[in-house]
Amino acid sequence: MSGLLQLEGLRRAYGPVTALDGLSFEVPAGHVVGFLGPNGAGKTTTMRAIFGLTDLDAGSVRWEGSPVGQAERRRFGYMPEERGLYPGMLVGEQLEYLGRLHGLSAPQAAEATDTWLERLDIADRRGSKVEVLSHGNQQRVQLSGALVHNPELLVLDEPLSGLDPTGIDAIGQVLVDQARAGCCVLFSSHQLDQVEDLCERVVIIDHGRLVTSGTVDDLATSGTRRLVVRVEGDRTAAWAQGLPGVTVSEVNGGAVRLVLDGSVDSDDVLRVAMRAGRVTQYSFERRRLSEVFREALT
Amino acid sequence: MKFLYIGIVVVVVVTLRLWMFRARRKRRATEDQVPGATHDRMVKSPLLGSARARIGRAVGEPLGTVGIIAMREITERVRGRILRVGTLLILVVVAAAIVIPTLDSSSGGLTAQTVGIVGPLSPQIEQVVNSAAKQDQDSVRFVREPSITAAKAALRSGRLDFTIADADLVLLNQPATSSSSPADPTLVQDVAEYLGVVRAYEAAGLTRAQAAQVDQAKAVPVHTLQPGTKTKSKAVSIIGLVLLFFMLTQYCTWILIGVMQEKSSRVVEVLLATVRPIQLLGGKVLGIGMVALGQATLVLGFALVLGEAVGSNLLHGAEPVALLAELLWLVLGYAFYCWVYAAAGSTAERQDQVQTLVLPLSIPVLVGYVFSITVASSGKPDLLFKILAYVPLTAPFCMSVLVSLSQVTWWEFVLSVLVSLAATVGMAIFAARIYRRAVLRTGGRVKVRELLAGSAH
Repeated sequence: MSGLLQLEGLRRAYGPVTALDGLSFEVPAGHVVGFLGPNGAGKTTTMRAIFGLTDLDAGSVRWEGSPVGQAERRRFGYMPEERGLYPGMLVGEQLEYLGRLHGLSAPQAAEATDTWLERLDIADRRGSKVEVLSHGNQQRVQLSGALVHNPELLVLDEPLSGLDPTGIDAIGQVLVDQARAGCCVLFSSHQLDQVEDLCERVVIIDHGRLVTSGTVDDLATSGTRRLVVRVEGDRTAAWAQGLPGVTVSEVNGGAVRLVLDGSVDSDDVLRVAMRAGRVTQYSFERRRLSEVFREALT
Repeated sequence: MKFLYIGIVVVVVVTLRLWMFRARRKRRATEDQVPGATHDRMVKSPLLGSARARIGRAVGEPLGTVGIIAMREITERVRGRILRVGTLLILVVVAAAIVIPTLDSSSGGLTAQTVGIVGPLSPQIEQVVNSAAKQDQDSVRFVREPSITAAKAALRSGRLDFTIADADLVLLNQPATSSSSPADPTLVQDVAEYLGVVRAYEAAGLTRAQAAQVDQAKAVPVHTLQPGTKTKSKAVSIIGLVLLFFMLTQYCTWILIGVMQEKSSRVVEVLLATVRPIQLLGGKVLGIGMVALGQATLVLGFALVLGEAVGSNLLHGAEPVALLAELLWLVLGYAFYCWVYAAAGSTAERQDQVQTLVLPLSIPVLVGYVFSITVASSGKPDLLFKILAYVPLTAPFCMSVLVSLSQVTWWEFVLSVLVSLAATVGMAIFAARIYRRAVLRTGGRVKVRELLAGSAH
């Protein structure tokens, strides 16, 4: 399975509010792509635009170079932010129904339903009504609905919200496996630690515009350097205060996390620390995704 | 014989209900032992599965996505309690309307009549009374009374049903048509008429042989140049209108609530990511429409079979074409109104919002219904009523009445159907536009003016 989703110059305004302002990015096959941005950045509008649920003022959504139409969308899977299932319908029948709407025959839909319910560990709830399931299990059913037809593109809006760690692990593993199998996976989340664990690539947007995008490794290692220094007996990191070009990002149990400007010589920092006491830790660290996120938005 | 038929119907209905009750209790018992077993069996039952697969092949596949959506609607409606209970209630009302009138003893059945005779009773009159009684399904016993005074006393005490005095007077305690009178009014009428004829023969001086010859006279054939207007049963027309109103309102409300529920549960966003709005709406309309047609056909078939079985005269005089016209107008009325209700449903996402929508939507239906009931009772449609028969909002009721009154020609009927179809197409396009724009907007009722002015969400 291979594919490439291209969003080009998406624009959408609701009266005076601009939701998308010329947004462009790509989602390649084989990667889990995290879609990040503060509340109101335009993430949900972008995802809805991919499925034609929002009319665009300008721009285009393309799949493998061609404009996306109804035939392409039948091969996509979508999990909206506000979960959508028939509350009184049986889980198994609901998934078979969604499978058939995506073009599967009745036997194929039944088989795929069994497979995904098994995979997400809710096979015993096949005959239950959706409304009697717990929030976590409803989330799993919703994800199964997006996956039942083995989509080429998977778009998930906040798929991890409200889940316990076991649920996050289970759903996260499914996303990674799908990407490994060649699917394009785009998902939004506010839980940046999980995004960092799951994603190879991230796209960060704000005010409907692209702020930055790239692989997590590139973003974590580029830009300002992170230095962690621990001085024996020092709990306040007073020695680091006021160093030119150095910002104290965090002091945690005696370890001070410093952000260095490009002009700062890290040896100078070491010398200052050694004057304050015996240095027991001195190491460079990658930028956390949360730091990448915050810095991108400032 | 009719009691046998009624008994069979009652036994069948009771047996069916008992079977359903026992099956449900058994299922619950199993469910208590093995949690989740009910639903698994429901899903995996080979019988249910094969039946659903057959229906699915018949409906789901030829129509593609629309058929799959329609099939889900049918399955969910048929499985739901509302349809089953509603259908049962309608059948009970229809059965009552057909059967109860036939239970009135004065309208038929073998009745024993005790007839007092004052004065001479010729064998000829006795024979005539007997043959009239046979024709009216009565058995007659003659009792001689010594005087008119004695006969009156016997009538008052109830020993006699009526008395023939001196072959030129029929005496009753109360008018025969009174509900408390024991006399068969038809028999009394026949006897009185015959005695009058006999007196007329005597006055004319006819011999017995001449009188017998006159009695055996046969009517000359009557030929007509074109078929005449049959006497129509008002009752059938009115019952049909009530059912039409009830069903039309019920099915369209299903559409409205169904659309609202898909919006409020947000499942519509998942569905519209895959299917076009018109496909989703079309599938819903088709599915509920097929359930509606099935229910209406069942009710009509049940009424015809039961009416024939119990010998009801309620359906006599009602031409099959009038019944078929009502069925056709149910379909056409549904086809038009379902789009209106669907568009309205897409603007709401809560039950209380639905209630405020239903009232204004039901006004044109109510207008057509009330007008039609009035005209069906009077049998005299005025010009306004005839105009309303061409307006798609009221045509389902008004045109049905005109057909049952034979006050419309075939081309007028066809014209009204065509106007209704054209309006339905226009309404479907308009409703799909409203639906697409409204159904994805959440956070309060959407105003139609906003939808017409703005673009989709």
